Amino acid sequence: MPSKDKVLEEVRTENIDIEAALDPAEPDGVFRDSRECAALALQSGGTSLLLSPPTPRPKKG
Amino acid sequence: MSVREVEETALEWVWAHRDRFALGDDALAADGQVNRTWKPLGELAQVCASVSACTPPSDPVHTRVSDLLDFAWQQTRQGELFLLMQSLEPFATYPLEVYAAFASAGRRHTGYEASAAVVARTRGWRLTEQYPTRRLGVIEAERRSGLSPHGRVPQALGRTWLGGLPEPWTFERAAGYALTHVVFHLTEWGRAAQGVPPDLADYLRHWLPPWLDTCLEARMWDLSCELLAVAASVPSPPDPAVLDDAWQRVAAAQHTSGAIPEEGAVQDAAGSADGAAPYAFTDCYHSTLMAAFAAALTTARLRDVDRAGQGVPG
Amino acid sequence: MEQSSTSALLQGTVLDLASDVVSALRSGDHVRAGGTLTGGGAGEGVARAAVRVLGADTLLPTALLRVPPDPGQLAVFKDAVAAHPPRDDAAPAVVWSHWAMARALRRLEQPLTDPLADDPGAEPGAGWLDDAGWQLLTHQLAVLAPLALPGEECAVTRAARRRPVDVARGFVRAVRRRDWQQAAGAGRWLTLLDGVPDSLGLEAGLDFVRLMGGSDPRVALQLEAARLMPAGVLL
Repeated sequence: MPSKDKVLEEVRTENIDIEAALDPAEPDGVFRDSRECAALALQSGGTSLLLSPPTPRPKKG
Repeated sequence: MSVREVEETALEWVWAHRDRFALGDDALAADGQVNRTWKPLGELAQVCASVSACTPPSDPVHTRVSDLLDFAWQQTRQGELFLLMQSLEPFATYPLEVYAAFASAGRRHTGYEASAAVVARTRGWRLTEQYPTRRLGVIEAERRSGLSPHGRVPQALGRTWLGGLPEPWTFERAAGYALTHVVFHLTEWGRAAQGVPPDLADYLRHWLPPWLDTCLEARMWDLSCELLAVAASVPSPPDPAVLDDAWQRVAAAQHTSGAIPEEGAVQDAAGSADGAAPYAFTDCYHSTLMAAFAAALTTARLRDVDRAGQGVPG
Repeated sequence: MEQSSTSALLQGTVLDLASDVVSALRSGDHVRAGGTLTGGGAGEGVARAAVRVLGADTLLPTALLRVPPDPGQLAVFKDAVAAHPPRDDAAPAVVWSHWAMARALRRLEQPLTDPLADDPGAEPGAGWLDDAGWQLLTHQLAVLAPLALPGEECAVTRAARRRPVDVARGFVRAVRRRDWQQAAGAGRWLTLLDGVPDSLGLEAGLDFVRLMGGSDPRVALQLEAARLMPAGVLL
């Protein structure tokens, strides 16, 4: 006589949607482009900021 | 919706928004945004020049793009502003590249051409550091503007991504934009399919379909339209089924105003706010121009094929 | 809940089984291919279902390396073929993957004895592939990658041989979409086809797919198959 576990397992196996696994739909495409940062040691886009006086900070109190 | 309808509605949008292409004071200002002034105007001029060249004079579309070209040429004060830009930024290449679009449509300014030739003779101009695709574009701009090209096309082509015949599965957005422009330069923006060497033509015939398909899936409408323009510019266009499918997907992305958003993120941001103008100008002008450009080339191509009696369905 | 945990168990077993096949293909050691099936880890029903999902590739080391199959593994394989016949309304890919398993047994001269079948070797139709665009063609061929074997002759291999450029386009598309399983399956087919454009760069492409997706044993399995393919000679 088969064990209870065995019976359970057989029932579960029958429930498996094996057809879906045999003819799977395509997953959604994943698109992400490789990026490039500016060359190292190249002049910063904010160079002009370095030449301007620092932004005044509000005084406390 | 047919390719022709995409073309007409896209041009409707461009006509309705032509004032947004106008050059303001910042076009000449040292801190002006060149990408928001000269670049859109040059793109308008180039697309109209190409559409005009591939459309019969009796076609209302021909009249529409001719009017747009006149409008754009007026913005440059019949070319005077190129001369002015030359004195302000003598070593910039973009004024010459924009001018070349006008020159290709017969709008020329001999004074500018003469002064541009002086700068183009320098070693400094020839040695300007730039991307290989851009270099090819400048060489072509020189030729179209009546200047002596500073380099040879085959050498410039060999340095580009497309010219090196890379593995097609390494295609990404940046490579895509580089390759479409290489083809635009080689074919004089869709006018001369024979400018594409045979090995490149074979390469593009093989690999345009998967690039187009994946760009459309990623909702990269702008690049998709550029690829469609390439498809209509090469010696052997893709299978009609490939083109039909692609154009249907582009048509579905076109707003009723005629605008085509650059990419899906722009559509998502606009959400369901489906007003008369759901997209900012900068988010849709380029893709809308490219759609009109690609559609005009496709229509002309199908017409030629029909005339040749090969009966490819439109 | 019950269903999803069982599906997860099946998926896990398929991966274990694929890992066994990869190990066997790499080492030439067929016994290791039976590890998951003979080790008693998975329950019988799940193991059988997993073999059905992995399909004829479960016996790939036997086919490509020409070593005799492990008897225990062969028994489970036969059970899987018998226990999971395609339903009447099954999709063509399901019918063909079953056919491929029966074919694998015939190669080993271990044909199934099915008194109901008029001709156990009769081929299903492959008209759906002829009607398919290049995207669907490649997807379906990747699902049916177990049929991509040197010397295999059936309607599916003939359909693939007729459209090498389309399969190559499908490979490019799959890599672009980062669908490594489809890319690996398509790549395996491409190693068998004449007329694939050189500019595809298939060898570098397979290396790239291994780099990006090779940690999935189902991907690794296809790549190992592709690696062994040129040397493999079948009946």
